[in-house]
Amino acid sequence: MSDNIMIAYTHRQAGHCESGATSNLFNFHGIAMSEPMAFGIGNGIYFSYLPFLKLQFAPMMSFRNLPNTVFHRSMKYLGVDATVIKKFKDPKESMDALDRNLEKGIPTGCQVGVFNLTFFPPEYRMHYNMHNLVVFGKEGNDYWVSDTVMELPQKISYEDLQRVRWAKGAFAPKGKMYWINKVDKELDIKSAVEKGIKKTVYEMIKVPFWLVGVKGIHVLARDIKKWPKKHGNSTASFYLGQILRMAEDFGTGGAGFRYIQGAFLKEAGEKFNNAELLAASDMMGKAANRWRDFSYIGARNCKNRSKPEEDYGTLGDMLHEIADMEKAVYVKLDKIKI
Amino acid sequence: MEENANPVYKNDAFGQFRELFYTYGQDGQFQKNVGFHGEADRTTLQQAWDLFAERIEEARQKVLAGKASPIAYYMEKALVNTLDLSMHTGISFWRVKRHLKPKVFNRLNEKDLAKYAEVFKITTEQLKHVE
Repeated sequence: MSDNIMIAYTHRQAGHCESGATSNLFNFHGIAMSEPMAFGIGNGIYFSYLPFLKLQFAPMMSFRNLPNTVFHRSMKYLGVDATVIKKFKDPKESMDALDRNLEKGIPTGCQVGVFNLTFFPPEYRMHYNMHNLVVFGKEGNDYWVSDTVMELPQKISYEDLQRVRWAKGAFAPKGKMYWINKVDKELDIKSAVEKGIKKTVYEMIKVPFWLVGVKGIHVLARDIKKWPKKHGNSTASFYLGQILRMAEDFGTGGAGFRYIQGAFLKEAGEKFNNAELLAASDMMGKAANRWRDFSYIGARNCKNRSKPEEDYGTLGDMLHEIADMEKAVYVKLDKIKI
Repeated sequence: MEENANPVYKNDAFGQFRELFYTYGQDGQFQKNVGFHGEADRTTLQQAWDLFAERIEEARQKVLAGKASPIAYYMEKALVNTLDLSMHTGISFWRVKRHLKPKVFNRLNEKDLAKYAEVFKITTEQLKHVE
C-alpha cells in the first residue's frame, strides 16, 4: 500500500456539515451544486422538540434532520449511484475500507463524533455524534480531511480518526461511511427539487405527531412560558440557552438552518423562473430574521441568569409568531407547481 | 494565530475560529459571510461551559466529603451523564448508578475499573483518587 495519496478534492467552507460535504462531493464529480441546493433537495430542515430526552442537561431539540438524511435523500431524488455503509463490525475493518476507497481515488464521507476531534475548537468539544467530514488524502499515518465547518482542510492521525469514527453514546456512528460511485447521466434537478419540497412540507406540517415540525415549535413556545415557574430562573435561562445553542452555534449557517432553506428556495425560484418560489423564499428569509431576533433577545436572559431581563411570556409569544410565519411558507409551498 | 485572532475577544480561548454564516438583507438577497460568532452566540456557549464547570466542582466537593464515588467526579469531567456513561462503558445503567456510591465503588473489581478508566482516559490508580 502506498503511503501518500492525495485526491484532487476542493474544500469549500459551508454552513452545515453534511450538506456542505454532499455539495462538495457533487462538485468533485463534475456537477455544480451549491450547498443550499443540496440541503433543500435532501430536506435537511426539520424541527423536533423532545423534552423527555436531555442533551447536555437540557431538553433536546433539533433544527435538522437525522444524520445522513441529506446525503441519502439527495442521492435518491437525483437518482445518483451512491453507496452508504451503515455500520461496520470492527474498527480495523472500517479503516481498511476507507484506505481501499482512497486508493481507488474516491473521496469518502464519514460520520464522526466531535468530542475527540483534535482540530476542533475547544468550545464545541461536546458529546455530539452527528458530525460529518470527508476524507480525501493520506500522508504516512495522517489523513487529510475536509471538515466544512473549518476554513481549511485539516490533518488527523489514524488513531484519532478511528476513535472519532467509533465514538460511543447516542447516535453512535459505528464507522458509517458514504460516497458517490459515479455520475454519468444528465440529472433531473427539477423533479428532485419538487420531491424535496414535497417531503419537507410533509415533515414540517403534516406529520401527525405534536412534537415534530411547526406543531413542535408551538409546544416549545408554550413550555417556555412555564419554565421560570417550574424550574426557577437560572435553570429556565439555561434551557433557553439550549434553544439558542442549537439554533445559532455550531454549523447551522445561522437561525437554525432557516437561512439555508431560504437560499435554496431562492436559487430554485431563479433557476425555474418561478415567482411563487421566490415569494416563499422571501417569507422564509423573514422568518429566519425573526429567529435571529429571538436569539438576540433571548441571549440577554442568558447573560443575566438569576434576573431575567425579558419576560418569558414575550419570548413564548415570539416563538408562536415565528411558528405561524413558518407555517405560512409551508402551506404556500404545498400548493406550488414547479 | 495572533493576527487572525478575534479582535473582540482577543484574550479568550473561545470564539477564535471563523464560520460561514448566511444572512438575509432588505434587498431580498441571501448573503454568505465568513466571520466570528457574535456576542449573543458566545453568551449561550459560555453559559453552558460555566454550568459544566459548576457541576464538576460540585461533584468534586461531594467526592471529597465522601458522599459519592470518584466516578461521579470523572463522569462530570467527561461531560456525560449516567445514561451516556453506561453506553460508553458497556455497563448497564443501573449498575453505573450503583457505582456512584462510595461503598459499592470500593468493592469494584479490576475489570470494571479498567472499563471506566478507559472511557475517562486515565489509569485505574488515578480513578480511585480525586485531587
